[in-house]
Amino acid sequence: MSAAKGGASSGSAPIHNGSSVPGRVLVVDDTPFNRQLLARLLRGLGHEPVEAEDGRQALARLRDTGAPPIDVILLDIVMPEMDGYQVLAELRDDAALRHLPVIVISGVDELDSVVRCLEMGAADYLPKTVDPAILKARITSSLARKRLHDAEREAVDRQAASNEVLAIMSRSAFDLQVVLDAVVRAAVRLCRADYGVAYVLDGDAYRVAASAGGTPELDAWERDHPLRPGRDSVVGRVALIGQVIAVDDVLADREYQATPGQQVGGYRTLIGIPIEEAGAISGVLALTRNEVRPFGEAERALAIGFAEQAAIGIANARLLETIERQRGQLARFLSPQVAQLVSSPEGEALLAGHRREITAMFCDLRNFTTFSESAEPEEVLGFLRRYHATVGSLVVEHEGTLEHFAGDGIMVFFNDPAFQDDHAARAVRMAMAVRERFVDIGDEWRRRGHVLQVGIGIATGYATMGRIGFEGRYDYGGVGNAIILASRLSGEAAAGEILLSQRTFAAVDGQVAAEPAGERQLKGFSRPLPVFRVTGRSGEDRAVAEVATAAEAS
Amino acid sequence: MSAPIDRAVWTNLVEMTGGDLAFVDDLVDTYLADGERQVAALRDGAASGSADDLIRPAHSMKSSSLNVGALGLGALCRALEEAARTGKVSDATQQVTAIATGFEEVRSALLAERAERAAG
Repeated sequence: MSAAKGGASSGSAPIHNGSSVPGRVLVVDDTPFNRQLLARLLRGLGHEPVEAEDGRQALARLRDTGAPPIDVILLDIVMPEMDGYQVLAELRDDAALRHLPVIVISGVDELDSVVRCLEMGAADYLPKTVDPAILKARITSSLARKRLHDAEREAVDRQAASNEVLAIMSRSAFDLQVVLDAVVRAAVRLCRADYGVAYVLDGDAYRVAASAGGTPELDAWERDHPLRPGRDSVVGRVALIGQVIAVDDVLADREYQATPGQQVGGYRTLIGIPIEEAGAISGVLALTRNEVRPFGEAERALAIGFAEQAAIGIANARLLETIERQRGQLARFLSPQVAQLVSSPEGEALLAGHRREITAMFCDLRNFTTFSESAEPEEVLGFLRRYHATVGSLVVEHEGTLEHFAGDGIMVFFNDPAFQDDHAARAVRMAMAVRERFVDIGDEWRRRGHVLQVGIGIATGYATMGRIGFEGRYDYGGVGNAIILASRLSGEAAAGEILLSQRTFAAVDGQVAAEPAGERQLKGFSRPLPVFRVTGRSGEDRAVAEVATAAEAS
Repeated sequence: MSAPIDRAVWTNLVEMTGGDLAFVDDLVDTYLADGERQVAALRDGAASGSADDLIRPAHSMKSSSLNVGALGLGALCRALEEAARTGKVSDATQQVTAIATGFEEVRSALLAERAERAAG
């Protein structure tokens, strides 16, 4: 005979006594009479009794994670199979059950046993000769203790999860995937959902960006079925109205049309939280349960908190996207190094001006003035484009900082703003590459009757680098003797010639074949300076030979 | 109500159920069915002379008897339980016989009470 039958035969619904919060009470007693009586009394107090005939049954029920959790245990001591002491010992050793309040049921002649049970962790005891008032008082106090413990544990849990999400956000602020994964995982766990998804607006539809708790089939289905604003789905409704939407039972909702997904997922209760960013619904956090059990106020508040964290994550990601895009656009006008400067925190200080050793390379064309006067303007522009594209790609390749293109003149710095230990060598290597490429371009133009060759000057020294110009039109550039010297050397260079200052030559000596080219009196310099000429490497002889020919021809 | 059942305890039991006599009848049926099993277990225990086999049924019979108001029967069960706990089983057969007789009296009293109530 069971208490359930007893309850049924009495034909009465549980009498809820307003003063006590209902709880689920496990009655462990081998005497059916006692179980039946206790169960009846508990029901009368508004609690839900669950019965076990001995300790073994009781532990099996307590450890059954599929069954609804027990709040309080009423435990008899003398039982077959496993007695009350053994149950207490098992509970004490089980971290998941240790906190459960146990009320020992004991006869007046068993006070020694009660003391032993209390020492073993029992919370209280109840005389075997049942008194409903005492039963009520004991259960109420144990339930209060249990709820306090649960609330504490939940608060600790929530705090921990919230901290975890915040830590992830600060660590990977700009990695949206990492942030959304953490948010959805925490939301599913703390809101006791079975499945959670973060949808992010992409074009005109909300697509799955992160999910947790679902089967691979469900994930695949949701991924393949983006949702649009509308009444037919919870996500659609959130997007439409911009408010939290809760559906207690999706099967009872007539407007809900996302049924195939519901069938894959098997969910019944849903809640959707808008992820708002700058007044727009840029995403939706959706949580589901596979049974009809609406989300409570506390869970809803938690979910809103997580949606806010997701919103920050999305805003950060968009900000990063914007910066990257702007940097990309800037790079079309500025050298990538300077574009990077403009959008970096250290950039402002560097732009304000700094002194640094640099290598400057100046490159221009021999006979360009003659060429531009004699050729058609379209021809000149076509030639310049080709020339700029060629040199531009070499600047990128050698990681130089392009100061400007001015007609046929090109100025490139090395070792600024990014540090380059081998700045002089880089400049010389780039100059040689320009000259080599120019052999082909020069050939082509010679066939059209134009003689065009580059002359390059390179100088190393200190210069003051930074923002030059005025509000509304700034250039990144430098002021210093090395820059002027590079420009003068370029002017001195014969067609196809690369001239180095003494310091550049010293820096690359042994790496590049070069020879002294005498002392030159250069404009702006008080005394003659030693100059060096790069001789080595492939293409050199041919270029020099052609230059000689061209020079004779002109 | 006959002597084997204490009127005060019985009344208290009925009050505890909120005067739900159908449930009280159920409870009594449970008590009687279980009591028969416990008496049988006690007889086996007495026959084998094992104290361990006597303790649990005596204990179980004691607590339900006291709750139903069978204080005399409860006292007999307590005496047997205590004797068995101290390993004293020499009088077990007589004690079990007394408990069996006491249980029959309690049964008659409970059924008589029910019949009286039915008769109005």
